[in-house]
This record gives sequence, structure tokens and C-alpha cells, in this order.
Amino acid sequence: MSVDTTVESFKGHRLAGWLDWLQMLTGLTLVCFLFAHMLFVGSVLLGAKSFDFVAAFFERTYLAQVGGPILFFLFLLHGFLGARKMPFRTKEQKLIVRHAKMMHHRDTWFWVIQAITGAILLVIASIHMWTVLSDLPITAAKGAHELETGLWLIFYLLLIIVGALHGCIGLYRIGVKWGVVTRAKRTKALKCIYYLIGVYVVVELLNLLRFYFLKV
Amino acid sequence: MSRTLHFEIFRYNPMDPDSKPHMQTYYLEEKDNMTLFLALNEIRETQDPSLQFDFVCRAAVCGSCAMVINGRPGLACKTKTKDLPDKIVLHPLPVFKLIGDLSVDTGTWFRGVAKKIEAWVHTTKTFDPNALEERMDNDLANEIFELDRCIECGCCIAACGTARMREDFLGAATINKIARFYIDPRDERTDEEYFEVIGTDEGVFGCMGLLGCEDVCPKQIPLQDQLGIMRRKMAIASLGGKVGKLFSVFSKKKK
Ligand code: SF4
Ligand code: SF4
Ligand code: FES
Repeated sequence: MSVDTTVESFKGHRLAGWLDWLQMLTGLTLVCFLFAHMLFVGSVLLGAKSFDFVAAFFERTYLAQVGGPILFFLFLLHGFLGARKMPFRTKEQKLIVRHAKMMHHRDTWFWVIQAITGAILLVIASIHMWTVLSDLPITAAKGAHELETGLWLIFYLLLIIVGALHGCIGLYRIGVKWGVVTRAKRTKALKCIYYLIGVYVVVELLNLLRFYFLKV
Repeated sequence: MSRTLHFEIFRYNPMDPDSKPHMQTYYLEEKDNMTLFLALNEIRETQDPSLQFDFVCRAAVCGSCAMVINGRPGLACKTKTKDLPDKIVLHPLPVFKLIGDLSVDTGTWFRGVAKKIEAWVHTTKTFDPNALEERMDNDLANEIFELDRCIECGCCIAACGTARMREDFLGAATINKIARFYIDPRDERTDEEYFEVIGTDEGVFGCMGLLGCEDVCPKQIPLQDQLGIMRRKMAIASLGGKVGKLFSVFSKKKK
């Protein structure tokens, strides 16, 4: 067995703990943003004007110009931290899927879903953030125009579903891992999570449809 | 109205060079109150004396009869056939070293992790055999006992996706065991020292919260809660320095 001789002080050991904090905190921030995003975009339900008003507010206050890139950075960081736990070798991937199949066990499948949705999100949410942030200002007209190509409609459908799953299941898993969701609270927490997924998907679908039929 | 049970049992003898892993079929008439322990013994007595499996206590206290029952790790002696479908598929526990058929060596594995986490009370006091035993608060004694009920059957390890992917992962039973020493006032280890042992990706931070362990443990050890508590404590310990001190109000080990 080879010995790692680069270990020198106790400090280095702490890294695992720090990274675990970071993964949790970035995750939590991103989930909060996900739902805030749902509400911002939801302003389109009241009409193109109110959407433009909200969007203009974020630009006037520089929240979009500054907050956007910060969020993008947190997103990438979270992806990187998550990747540390991912099975990269095919042998491990096969093992975990075989394991999940063997167990017919909900929480194990959750994790498989997290890994897959996480990988998809890394690509498609990056695209979404890039297209939005590189072409400010955000306006309802642009959104509606974009959706005229059917491909974007499918893209956003995927983004909504994958984002909802990853965000909400992630929230539940943070609760479990950090001991907030205890044995006694587990069933209730799961129910809340299912509702949360439902609410997010429904509202964002409505938003999407509103954009699709928006006449500007 | 007895059923005929259809068993599919994993067979492989690593000691025999001609043996290849395969599934073998057996049929058995179900009896009243039949457990898998009774069923397997009947198969061995009446159909196939070469079938290997382990039992000692047949009362869910020794932990030797754990196996994968229709996909889920569990104790064969605690599993009633009436709770299972007609077809019963049995595999040995993964992760552990296979001795043959359904028999695995959990002992070596558990001994290995116990050594790693130094699963004994660390104290500077010298033992005086003539002195009266120190008293312990009853609630605390119960709390420790609750965690001490683990029978090291290995179900939680076999059910853990992390343990299957990472050979060096300590596993839920081990983290539960550390939690047991953590709350034991006789153990003088500090948070820092505990952190050295489990504050790693092989320890609490490796746990991905899949809760396979929680959902299969035949003794209902509060694994989910203990994993959460230990993760929190160790995460706070990892902050160290000033920030850690700030949080340490919540995490100070009660002594
Ligand atoms: S914690 Fe439960 S499942 Fe794990 S070894 Fe102990 S008794 Fe078995
Ligand atoms: S909760 Fe942790 S220890 Fe338990 S099965 Fe999941 S990863 Fe393994
Ligand atoms: S035989 Fe002892 S636990 Fe089953």
C-alpha cells in the first residue's frame, strides 16, 4: 500500500468538511433562487408589461449584471462539488444502478436521479444562463420570440422538469443528510417535496405557455 | 392452504475451482410460522446438504444470518415466509467476503472498521478493580444502549450505495458506533480527535444520505438520525478556529 506523504498538518484534513458545507450552502442558495426565479418569471402571467417591469428593476439595480454571474459561479461550483461524489468509472455506474435495481429503494433511486439530472443541468442550465445574461436586457418580447422556434420549447420543458427534480429532491436530501429531516419527519418531508415539485412544474409550465402565446 | 415456495438461491463455492456463480432452484412446501431459517434448514436436510448459510441464535440477536432477500438485505431468521411472495430469491450480502453460497464473512470487515475508529473507551484513568463502578445517569445509559443494540449483521452496509462504490467507506453501523462513544462521558476524546477519525470522505462526509441503511436495519437502530447528528457535529468541528468556536455552543460535547 502506498502512503500519502503530502499530508502534513491537521488543517488539510478539514477540507472534506469545508467542501461539504459548500456543497450544502451552494445547493440551498440555488434552490432558493430556483423558486425566486419561478416567481419573477411568473410576473408574465399578469402580462408582458409587468414582466418587463420586474426585469427592468433587476437591471436598474444591477442585480442581473452582478448577481447573474455570481449565481453562475455558484452553479458551476456546486456542479464541481457534486461531481466529487459522482461515479465516473463505468464500473461504479453499473454498480450503483444494479444496486438501486436490487434494492427497489426510493431514496437510492433519488440519488441516481440526482446524479443524472445534475449532469443534464450542468449543460442546459449553463446554456440558459448564457443566452439570458449575454443578451441583456431581458424582455418579454425576446422570450416570446425565442419560443417561436419549437426547439426552445422542448429545451425549456426539459429545463423545467429536470430543474424541479434536482432542486426539490436535493432539498430533501440536504435535510436528511444534515439531520433536519429526522426519522420521525421523513414521511411528511417527502410529501412536502412532492408538492413542491408539483407547484414548481405547474407554475413554470404556465409561465412557458404564457410566453408561447404572448403577442408582442 | 399451504403454498409451494419457489426458491432461487445463489450458489458458488470460491474454494472449488470448478464452481461457477449460478442460481439454483428449490421447491418447498410452506409450513405455519415458517421463517427463512426454518426453510433453509429444511432444504439442507431434505434436498441439498451442500448448501452453505449461517445461523446461530435464530432470534435476531447474533447477526449471522443476514442475506439479500428478494433484493433487500435482511435477517433470514426474522423473516417469515408468509410475508414473502411465492418466489423467493436469495443472494449473499454484497461488500463482504464470500465464504460460499449465502455465507459471508462480516467479522473481518467489522473488526477492520472498529480498529480504524478505535471503538473502545479512551480514558486516562487507570482502572481500579476494587473501586465501585461509576454511576451513570439512567437516561444517558438508555441512550447509549439504544445505539449499542447493533448486532453487526451488515445489512446496512450491504444496502448502502456508497459502501458498494467505495470500498473504504466506513458505513452506517460504524458511524453509529462512533456516535455511541461520542455520547459516552467516559470516553475522553475531543471533537477534534473524533474529527480525525470520521471527518473525512470515508466517514460522515462520504455518506450520501441514501438511507438504504435506515430502511433495512433489522434492529431499527436510529441510523438516519445518528448520521445527521454526526455530520452536523463534524461539519462544525471542521470550521475550526474562530468560526468553529462561534458554533461550538451547539456542538460542545457534554461531559
Ligand atoms: S446498524 Fe442495523 S443493519 Fe447495521 S449492522 Fe447494526 S443491526 Fe445490522
Ligand atoms: S445514509 Fe449514508 S450510510 Fe446510509 S445507506 Fe446512505 S450513504 Fe450509506
Ligand atoms: S441467526 Fe442470529 S440473527 Fe439470525
